[in-house]
This record gives sequence, C-alpha cells and structure tokens, in this order.
Amino acid sequence: MDVSFINHFIESAANVFNTMLECPLKRTSLRLKTEAEPAHEVSALIGLSGTHVGSLVLSLSREVALKATERLLLVEFDDVTPDVVDAVGELSNMIAGGAKAAMAHLNLSLGLPNVIVGKAQKIYFPGDVSPITVSFTTPWGELAIEVGFDTRLEGNISQVDQRATVSC
Amino acid sequence: MKILLVDDSGTMRTIQKRCLLKLGVSEDGIVEAENGQVAFESFSSQSFDIVMTDWNMPVMDGLSLLKKVREVNKQIPVIMITTEAERSRVVTAIEAGVSDYLVKPFTADTLNAKLEKWVPAMV
Repeated sequence: MDVSFINHFIESAANVFNTMLECPLKRTSLRLKTEAEPAHEVSALIGLSGTHVGSLVLSLSREVALKATERLLLVEFDDVTPDVVDAVGELSNMIAGGAKAAMAHLNLSLGLPNVIVGKAQKIYFPGDVSPITVSFTTPWGELAIEVGFDTRLEGNISQVDQRATVSC
Repeated sequence: MKILLVDDSGTMRTIQKRCLLKLGVSEDGIVEAENGQVAFESFSSQSFDIVMTDWNMPVMDGLSLLKKVREVNKQIPVIMITTEAERSRVVTAIEAGVSDYLVKPFTADTLNAKLEKWVPAMV
C-alpha cells in the first residue's frame, strides 16, 4: 500500500469533523492494524474502487457517534438508533469522498457505506493489504480511521470484490 | 413553492430541510425521496419548482435522475449536493444539465448561501 494515501484520509476526516460538526480532531497514534475487530463501537465501512481498490473504516466510540449525530440533527440521543447509524454512515461517505477527490488521478468510485454496531464483529481487509489505523481524540471522545489499499491492482478496475468484508 | 429533496441519508435530508424551512419553504412544500427512482416517480406525478439531489444513492443515482429530469424538463433548477468533488465529476454533471453544485462537507452558512440563490425568489 502506498502509505501516502493515508494522508488524504486524515486531512479529509479533519475537514469533515471541522466543517460539519465544528469538532476538532487531534491525532494520537498511527499504526499498522493487525486485529480484525473495529477500534470502537460504531463503525462505518465504505469501499473505493478504480485503478486501486481499498476501504475506509470510520470507527467511533459510542459517545462520539451520539454527539456527532446530535450536532447534525439538533436532537439528543442516548442510544445508537437508526438515525445515529445513518449519520455515521454519511460521515464516512464524506470522508471517503474528500480523500477520493484528493486522489482524482486514481479515478476512484465510492461504494455505499455499511455500518456495524458493536465490537464483536470482525472486519477483514484482503490478506495482502496492510491497513493502517489512525487514532484521534476529540472533546467528545475517541475515534479512528482504518484505511487499506491494494496497490497491486493498479490498472485493473474490475476487482471491486477485494474490498474489506465483515463477518460476525 | 415545492421542492423535491433527494438523498439516501436521512441525516442529510434533515439538514437540508432545516435550511429550507428557515428560508420560508413550508413543511408541505418539501417532498423527500431516498433514491433517484423514488424521486422520479414523484417528479412525474407532481409539479416541483426545484430539485435538490445527492449523487451516490442506491437503485438510481443522482446523475441518472438529473438526466431523466432533463429529458422532460429543461428549465427546472436541479442542484446537486454531493461528495463528488473531482473536476471531471462536476463537468459531467454540468454536461448533464445541472443548475448548481455543492460539495459535502459544507457549513450551515455555505448551504444557506447556496439555497438562498434559488429559493427566495420562488417562496
């Protein structure tokens, strides 16, 4: 994986949280992801495909997911409802879209987000992809983005099934 | 004044609807749809003044909706509000007949300014 990709996702995440939520992100760590479990309780998974194929996982602590949804909808939430799931999916869509625009030369297309709730489920990237986890802290709590791209697929635009998958 | 508001995210529809209500559009004047197909069914059976649509949606995307709308109506303003920010995508939308374009994420002020261009004259 071309690790420079990750910078576009970091910048896009900061932009989305600043613009839509007025919530500053502070990066706390960057590491290779080795475990299959998502970092936090509410995670949105979105695929990108084009000359490269990859996935973004936006993983929010419960507190961040609830506060972010409250900020968007101006309604208080005390549980992870379908509204929270929708909001987290849309945040992942905007982050992936921003990164995609910054990598316009790759001619990527966005998939539609899927959201999983809970940490028991596992997210599998393709075996030859080493996803990178970037952790952030916010005034509301913790979140992370996980990004994996298979650069071996350069020039092949058909292998969209190489995106990350989820299993229970 | 009747607006067709199309986005597969209920969150996005709520944010945009809130802005429209502040601009004086009545609750009854906003018809929501979660994809292009549902939107075009509404468009075919009702009269609208503005269409606001996302691009990436299941079943029928916003670009396909735009093209179908333009087949039957060249005049109605169609505003695309989307994460598709690349120049090539904007050009594609312009070629298909989009009237205006707003990239997500946006601030409340940016959304308001964009809609103020189109809505007040018709309220």
